[in-house]
Amino acid sequence: MPGIINRRAVRWLRGQLPELVAAGAISSENAAAIERHYGSVESRTNFGFVILATVGAALVGAGIILLIAHNWDDLSRAARTVIAFIPLLVALALIGFVLMQRNESRPWREAVAVFDMAAVATAISLISQTYQVQGTFDSFMRVWLLLSIPIVYLLRTTFGAVVYVVGTIVWLFDHWGILGGQQNPNFAWLLLLLVIPYFLLRYRQDCDSRETTILATVMLLASVMALGLTADFTKADLGCIAFAGLLTGIYLCGMKFFPRQDERLHTVALLGGIGIGVTAIVLSFEGTWHASHTLSWDKRSGSQNLGLIIELLFPVAAVCLAGWDLIRKQWRFSLSAAAFPIVAAIAWWIARSCDSSTDTRCMFAGAAVINGYMLLLGIDILMRGIRTHSIARANFGLVLIAALAVARFFDSDLSFVTRGLGFIVVGAGFLFANIVLFKKRVPA
Amino acid sequence: MKTLRIGIFVLVAVAQLAVPASVAWKREQTFAHGRIWKLKTAPVDPVDVVRGRYIWLQYAISEFAQSERADWKSPIYVVLKEDADGFAQVDHISQTPVSGDNVVQADAGGWSDGTQSISFPFRNYWVTEKIAPRAEQAYRENSRRGKENAYVTLRVCNGDAALEQLFIDSQPLADYLRAQDAKK
Repeated sequence: MPGIINRRAVRWLRGQLPELVAAGAISSENAAAIERHYGSVESRTNFGFVILATVGAALVGAGIILLIAHNWDDLSRAARTVIAFIPLLVALALIGFVLMQRNESRPWREAVAVFDMAAVATAISLISQTYQVQGTFDSFMRVWLLLSIPIVYLLRTTFGAVVYVVGTIVWLFDHWGILGGQQNPNFAWLLLLLVIPYFLLRYRQDCDSRETTILATVMLLASVMALGLTADFTKADLGCIAFAGLLTGIYLCGMKFFPRQDERLHTVALLGGIGIGVTAIVLSFEGTWHASHTLSWDKRSGSQNLGLIIELLFPVAAVCLAGWDLIRKQWRFSLSAAAFPIVAAIAWWIARSCDSSTDTRCMFAGAAVINGYMLLLGIDILMRGIRTHSIARANFGLVLIAALAVARFFDSDLSFVTRGLGFIVVGAGFLFANIVLFKKRVPA
Repeated sequence: MKTLRIGIFVLVAVAQLAVPASVAWKREQTFAHGRIWKLKTAPVDPVDVVRGRYIWLQYAISEFAQSERADWKSPIYVVLKEDADGFAQVDHISQTPVSGDNVVQADAGGWSDGTQSISFPFRNYWVTEKIAPRAEQAYRENSRRGKENAYVTLRVCNGDAALEQLFIDSQPLADYLRAQDAKK
């Protein structure tokens, strides 16, 4: 039947290629062409199948747990212990089989990896229940994550890596939930560091694939959450600079490492850009700069100081990344977006230059710097949108300007007439920019 | 490359099996060789007894008369003794490590008016989904003021304290529930 591919036959044919080349039946160019042909066919059909296989494995794992949980009371402790290990032993046997026989099949690798991760969790929880082990969810997650990460590398599983990163987020919030700002979240950075080499491998292999984008996105979300909790934990009042650094870094990485032929942004750059906009809006409120719970160096613990170093790492890395491209004159990013960590640092320095309890002028000045910056950023993105005929980008620039106007509507003492005029100007800007862009697009 | 991968797999498999197996093994040793203690449970707040699939236990010996406040930042070592009825009582609390099958590691809770609160690490008694609601009800009914009829057995061995069984009306929980079902 045309269009349907017999995978077993394809696997056989691909296995035969080296022999055929050695025997002189086909040239190595022919072999490479055949390899390319079936490789591309497989990658086209794999994504949906991988998802289905992974979901299937997760459901089988969950089903086994439910089956075991039923009638559990009637079993002896020894029987329960044996049963607790069965899913894990099956999963390990399947991993052995995949490594020996199906190492090139992504659906097999992904599904078996997710099944093994579920089986490890099952074994630990059932043993804990059987033996009345009094661990916390926090320690359970930590052990589970550390036992699961080798599987990500062993089976080269992107969905396994996604599950691992989501697990890290769950750990972070559970760990944080117990005592709030007193809990040390630095372990989350170690957990995230452990998955980065895999991400780099994935990136080198196929930076444009959906799987790489999904993994990058969950890693970014985890980093943002971890940074928020780290900033709260370190009590250094540097969260604004750290966030500006992280989000700018994400934007710059998106632009540099995920370039696109068309003018659209890659998801990573887009998320970074949105993050920059949202952070700038938050920092444009004067009230944000009041929040201060700074501890001096000597009162801060070792892990709080480590958290502080982690916080500072992001703005430094973002500035270096932007600086490197600027020196080599090879930048594609928006200069105003790239300047965000520096602007945030200047605003922070101004806001902290007078005593916040007696004098609020410095905080007002800090917020004013961000307001000015945000206006500039909005105009820059709008202009880039108009230049590149990108309606989405132009509107994002306008959204930033409108958000700034709305924010000032609520917290400034401007008269209603001035506010009204401001809204009319922004609204007219929206209409004008969109009309111009649509007119430019129609002839094209 | 394949050999390396298999070697790593063997290491990972050993680690994944060893973690739950070591927990099970340690607990088997405690159940087999640990000294047995009976701990009377305390009356409970009727609203928050079962969270998820475990019963949240409170102990009568969680309050101990002591003139000085224990340091809550480091673990405490609770030395147990048996009373005339065979139930565990706190003999004394030590801030420095003490070994023996009559010592349980715990956390120091609050202190007020000469009473030190002790937070024992064995407060969750795991039950299955199926019996959780009835177990909750049975524990609640038998841990009320005036009808304190529940206790747990605890095995202590080499610093490991393992909850063994929850007794209600002098019967293991499962037997008690079965007997209650038979009565209906």
